[in-house]
Formats: sequence, structure tokens, C-alpha cells
Amino acid sequence: MKARYIVRRAGRSLKQAKIRTLLTSLAIAVGAFTLTIALAAGEGSRQYAEKLISSNINSQALFVVRDESLVGGGGLPGGDGLKEYSETSTQFSGLSIKSLEPKDLDVIENDKDIEQVIPTYLVEAQYMTFEGIKKKYTSDVSVYDASVLAESAAGTLPPLGEQIKDDEVVIPEGFLKALKIDNPKDIVGKKVTLRLVRQVQPSEEEITKTIQEKGSAGLAELVGGEVRDESFVVRVVSKASVTSLSASNALFISENTARSLSDFLTRDTPRYRSYVAATAIVKDGVEPEVVKQRLTDKDLTVRTAEDLQGLLFTIVNLLQGIVAGFGVLALIASVFGIINTQYISVLERTQQIGLMKALGMHSRDVAKLFRYEAAWIGFLGGVIGSVIAWGTGTVLNPWITEQLDLGAGNHLLIFEPLPVIGLIIGLMIIAVIAGYFPARKAAKLDPIEALRTE
Amino acid sequence: MIDVRHVTKTYGKKSTIFTALDDVNFSIPDGASVAIIGKSGSGKSTLMHTMSGLDRPQTGEVIIDGQDILQLKSKEVDRFRSRQMSFIFQSFFVEANESCYNNVGMVCEIADVPSAEHQDRIERALEAVELTDKKKSRARDLSGGQKQRLAIARAIVNDPKILFADEPTGNLDSATGEIIEDLLFRYNREKGVTLIIVTHDHDLAKRCDIMIQIRDGKIVSVDNKKPATKSSRKKAGKS
Ligand SMILES: Nc1ncnc2c1ncn2[C@@H]1O[C@H](COP(=O)(O)OP(=O)(O)OP(=O)(O)O)[C@@H](O)[C@H]1O
Ligand SMILES: [Mg+2]
Repeated sequence: MKARYIVRRAGRSLKQAKIRTLLTSLAIAVGAFTLTIALAAGEGSRQYAEKLISSNINSQALFVVRDESLVGGGGLPGGDGLKEYSETSTQFSGLSIKSLEPKDLDVIENDKDIEQVIPTYLVEAQYMTFEGIKKKYTSDVSVYDASVLAESAAGTLPPLGEQIKDDEVVIPEGFLKALKIDNPKDIVGKKVTLRLVRQVQPSEEEITKTIQEKGSAGLAELVGGEVRDESFVVRVVSKASVTSLSASNALFISENTARSLSDFLTRDTPRYRSYVAATAIVKDGVEPEVVKQRLTDKDLTVRTAEDLQGLLFTIVNLLQGIVAGFGVLALIASVFGIINTQYISVLERTQQIGLMKALGMHSRDVAKLFRYEAAWIGFLGGVIGSVIAWGTGTVLNPWITEQLDLGAGNHLLIFEPLPVIGLIIGLMIIAVIAGYFPARKAAKLDPIEALRTE
Repeated sequence: MIDVRHVTKTYGKKSTIFTALDDVNFSIPDGASVAIIGKSGSGKSTLMHTMSGLDRPQTGEVIIDGQDILQLKSKEVDRFRSRQMSFIFQSFFVEANESCYNNVGMVCEIADVPSAEHQDRIERALEAVELTDKKKSRARDLSGGQKQRLAIARAIVNDPKILFADEPTGNLDSATGEIIEDLLFRYNREKGVTLIIVTHDHDLAKRCDIMIQIRDGKIVSVDNKKPATKSSRKKAGKS
């Protein structure tokens, strides 16, 4: 008997038991729904993560640190508890982190494939003031990243790869709310002043001397530290972008400025010219991985943009796996549904099976008939589940985007036809496997016995 | 030519052994109409199943056109049955949820008839039993007589050489039964098909060329009304 006839016949049998077919398929549909959502969420988060990374990290960039614990190489920072004291360690809320020293930076800089090294300067302004506004504000201060293109809300950004001038700053759109400015154009060209205070740790000798010469007022001045005001002009108000992490919360200064301010703030301290981390840009056309190997051999801890991406992907994959796990559980339940339904179907159709065999249908074709019926059920369940998932996902996407603050144009659920088609085929195979025993029972039925039942 | 030789069929084991067919021998020439007659439980259906290869006896041979079908593999017996034989049952056994057309079409599909021929064959078969106007109706909506006519259409659509009918009129009133009998005998005459009817109706048995009487699994008599051909007389004498 031709397979085509058996498929058609299987379809007709199912149509004749519409409700039962539908209910059995719905069990699979639940699994299919969950798995489709898992696939879509995985795809969506991966694309989102990719976007997030490409708009924040230059793919040629290497992230270099001394302290492996910073990048998760040796557990979380501080995870070991007691750490050896080191002169060059930087203290962060009680954690001691080994920094990159000038000689480490030289190692990086002297690598033949490194184009540029930008240490992560720690510039902490005590406060900042804006021209025409009385209030004082505080904010993070970062180096303007010329390697990724930001979007401007007002003012013109330098072309990709070019730094802003040393007396310029870029402020994020997010500042405007606190400054009570509606039009970003109003602040472009205005002056911003940073108040920097250098902490000093005077020696006992100095203290005695100051008290003797200048009295207690002099002492206050001495421990109060050295104060410096730096003024800049606002060049650009960068557009708030959800995928661009840095754009949203810091005041950006040029690299030169950052260095000189950092130098000022750390002069005469062990932290002078030593940095927690540095970003090294690998020359175009050179594999960052190769340079990473070379630097790693020199006792530095290096992560490429891809590594960081991988870390994010591991989390995404884990979450996707959890959702998929529920789908698989639903599928296992539905497998028993199929077995049960098909067994009942075989019992109900004993006479029909007997007749078909008496009329010369091979046992193998009888088994096929029931297997194809199972495949149809799997197909139906898969289509119902994935179509519903696709539909609800598409409808809910804007809402999810809003709730999770993903930013316009980003979707958590991205449906792709190929994985869904693969899923449906997979479900058909599972259904066929579930239908194996009922199909075998049908194939083994003795036609004479079957025809005796009335 | 169908030759049944020394066929013995038993059920059960040692202590509960039951002999349903006991060394059965006879032969049937091509194109004959045959009645197998006997009381209930005498082994008529068992004999029919054995002759069609549905059932395998413990010993004996069933030779059809020189081939012992009991020696064939199950797949070959299936093919043999689907192309050369057909069945009509007392309780019709039509597929209630399928249309008349598909009921008949099923055997075309099973016998691997080229799909281009299906429609033509099915329509001719339905016409022969006067069910053309019921082509699209579901079989469950037919009357008993119509169901049995549908079963006949299904039985003749592949132009079989042997047609088995197990109590074909058993579930029908006498008038409807007669219509069915007429259809079967006409088909037997016109197409030369070998017609084997299992029955306990003596009037029906009398219409057949050959009457085989069976009691407790044994052949009691084989009456050949028609002047037998030379070859069939020789075979009949042997058994
Ligand atoms: N599977 C079986 N196991 C045991 N005994 C069986 C089995 N099948 C049939 N028999 C017995 O074999 C004998 C012949 O059965 P068969 O069905 O051939 O009778 P029949 O002549 O067709 O009767 P009826 O006219 O009532 O249909 C019966 O006594 C029956 O009980
Ligand atoms: Mg019987």
C-alpha cells in the first residue's frame, strides 16, 4: 500500500474522531507552545545581548586586568576572604584588588599588534556645576569611547574613532531631567565645572609643623586636601539608548583630560599611574585572540569582546534551558496521552483492522497507519502550539519591551521559522515513537479474532 | 482450481484439544459456485479462513492454481488475497464512517491498483450493485441490504478470481437476501469468478453447482450437480 494512501487514510481516521484528536494534540501543543517561547526568548535575548555588546564594546578591544578575580577567573572578588596586602593594591569597599602598574601598561603598549591602550581612569569629582544653574551635582565621570558610535540628541559628535577635545564634555540626555532642561540644545556650548579634591595623608611631622606655623586653620586646610576646579564646554548631549549602557549615566571627558585628572587625584599615593583595568585596542585585521594569548603569557588576565559575549550567552542559554525544560516536561506528559489515545483507538477499531488485514493489507502497513496517525497528532499539536505562541508572542512583544525597558525596536521574543519547523518535525518524531506500541498491537492483531468481535 | 488436501485444524493444547477441521479433502474447479453447508460450530468459517490463507491449519495443503498458499510468506499471502480473493461477511463489515466511494477505494489502495484506474473501477463496481447515487454517503447511513451491496461492490472492484461469502444473507430479510444472492450468482456467471458461499440455508445451497456438507469438522458429502469437466471429475474422484 502506498504511503500516500496510508497518510490520507490516517488523516481521515483522525478527522472522524475530531474531539479526541484535538484533545490529544492539545497536550502536545502545550509543550510546543513552551518550547517555541523558549526558542524565541533565547533568540531574542541572544540578539539583544549581541546588540548590547556591539554598541558598547569594540570587537577589537581587549579588556585587561591584573586581578583574575575581577573577571571571574578565580571566583568572585573577595571570595577568598583574606588576601595578601600589596602596596599597589587598590581598595574597593574593603576588597583589595591588584592593579595594573606602569610596567604592565608598557607591556601592553609595546605589543606590536596593539594600537592603543586606554586605562580605566578613576576620576571622582566631588561635585560638578553647570553654567547658569546654582545647584551642585554628582555623577560618574568616564572616558569618551571613540570606538563605538553614540547617538546625539544635540550638538555634533566627532566621527567614529576620534576623541572629543580636551576641554569638551559629552553629557547624557538623562542629565537633563535633573537639570530641569527640556531642550537639549539649551545646554550645548554651556560651561561645566568639576570640583576635584585630592586627598592627602600628611605625616605626623607635617601635621606638627603646620600646627606650629598656621594653627588649627592650617591643619584643616592640610587634611582637607588640595582643591582644583576644571571647566569644560558641553559639546554633545548623547541620546539615551537602552542598548548603550555607558551613554545613560556618566559625564564623558577626553582621554587626555581623564589622564591628567587621574594623575592629579592620585599623585603621591600608591595608586598613582596604576589602574584596575585597561582597554587595549587590537589593530584591525589582527585576531584579538592571538594578542590575548601573548598577553596572558605575560601574567595578565585578558578577556576579548567575544569572551564577554560568551559570558552573557552562558546566562542566556541557561535561562533558555530552564524554560525549555518545562516544555520537555509537558511533552513527556503528552507522550503518555498519545500512547493512551492510540491504544484506545486500536481497541475501538479492532474490527476495521481485522477487515483491512483480511482484505490483504500487510501488517507493516497497518502499523504504519497508526504511526502516521500519531505523526498527524504530533504535527497538529506542534502547529497549534507554535502558532499560538507566535501569535501571543507577537502581540505581547511591545508590552514586554516596555515592562523590561528593552528600548524601542528590541524584542524579547524573536520567532524564526526554521527552529519552529524543526520543532514540529521533532514533535512528529516523538509522537511516532509514542505510537510505537499501539501500532505494534494493531499490526499483531489476528484478523480472524478481530472479525469475530461484533 | 482450488485443491484442499488433508487439512486438519485444531484449537487448544493436549487436554483441551479441539479438532475444528479433520482431514478435509476436496477440490473446486474454476468458475464454480460452491456452498459449504453445515450446522453452527461445524467448522464452516474455519474452513473458509483456511482456504483463503487467513488461518493456518496444523497440517495439509491448499493449492490454488498449482501454488500451495500455506507455504507462502505472510506478505505474499496478503498480496495473493488482495489481488485474487475477496470477502463478504454476514455482518457486512463496511467502514461506517467512510463514504461508499472510499469503502470501495480501500481495496484498490491495498491491492496497489494504479491510482489512475481507481475512479473508473470504483464507479463501475458501485454501478453493478446500484449504489451510484450513494457514492458520497457515509456507509453508516445505509440500510442493511445497501451495506451488503456495498460489501459486494468492494468485493468485485479488483476483479477477483475467488469470492468468499460467509453467510452473506444471514442478517437480511428474505427479499433483500434474494437480491444479494442474485447479485452474487450473476457475477459468478458473467465473470466466471469462483464463488464460495458458507451458509446453513439449504435453499441457497441448492442454487450452487457444488454443495459441500460438513459436520464436526469432517466432510460428509460433496455433491456436484453440474456435469463436471474431465479434469475436475478426475480430481473429485480422487478425494
Ligand atoms: N480460536 C478458537 N479457539 C477455540 N475454538 C475455536 C476457535 N475458533 C473456532 N473454534 C471452534 O471451532 C469450531 C468451528 O468454528 P466455526 O466458526 O468454523 O463454526 P461455523 O461452522 O462457522 O459456525 P457458525 O455457523 O455458527 O458460524 C467451533 O466449535 C468453535 O467453537
Ligand atoms: Mg461461521
